[in-house]
Amino acid sequence: MKQMGNIDILPMACVGLILVLVMMMIAPLVMTHTQTSVDVPMAHTAETKTEENLTVTYTVDNRLLVNDVEILPEQLPDVISAELDKDPFQLVIVRADKEVYHSDVLEILAQVKRTGAKRIACATKKPRE
Amino acid sequence: MGKRRRLKFDKKPEGLILNSLVDIALSLVIGFIVTIPLFFESGIFVNTPGVAKASSGDVSDIKVNIHLLDNGAIMLNEETVSYERLEELLPELLARSVARKVIVSTEQNVKYERVVQILDLAKQKGAGELALLRSRQ
Repeated sequence: MKQMGNIDILPMACVGLILVLVMMMIAPLVMTHTQTSVDVPMAHTAETKTEENLTVTYTVDNRLLVNDVEILPEQLPDVISAELDKDPFQLVIVRADKEVYHSDVLEILAQVKRTGAKRIACATKKPRE
Repeated sequence: MGKRRRLKFDKKPEGLILNSLVDIALSLVIGFIVTIPLFFESGIFVNTPGVAKASSGDVSDIKVNIHLLDNGAIMLNEETVSYERLEELLPELLARSVARKVIVSTEQNVKYERVVQILDLAKQKGAGELALLRSRQ
């Protein structure tokens, strides 16, 4: 009977390493709320946790998106209301670029609040120290 | 003099040495775990953005009103303070408040980043609730 040789562990270790590298590259893309790139402000405080949310994005070129779908500012209350009808306690995250005026963001926050959103948060990123 | 024992280097190691490979893999995993919060977006909860109201009959618990001016100045309860002074005063003021509420209002052309910086500072110094005002009364 032919005896089996030792298991060659090197390919397995290489595959493991490649998987780790791929995971490291993909994770930032997967873990952001949306695919729309926005330079959100830095903050040490982290209150929100990963959960199903409604994302309102306001870009530096003043585009407004709800869950990655671009809308007009006047459409915002209707779109948010429609989403909140499904789940009134849904977390609404406002992702605004750090370079935009606060007054613009505040107008968005006010409109979101008027639609009946109970939990609103401003998206931030941990600073690199 | 005793006999000196000669070390034998000619013996080939048996099997594959995986120590260095495992070390690299572990370092990568640790690096990954450490850096992932930097990529992950978080958030700060904010309260109703509304218009400031002043009612003479109400007894308000609020002790911290921060107003940001277009020229970069910070006003804390009607007095102009530096950012460093604000850092010192916030814990003292919040300690006097039951609700530990911080109200932030701004002028028209203040950048969003500055406001979040102040909200973050307030949270770090122990603020319980953050409220944003659309205009200052």
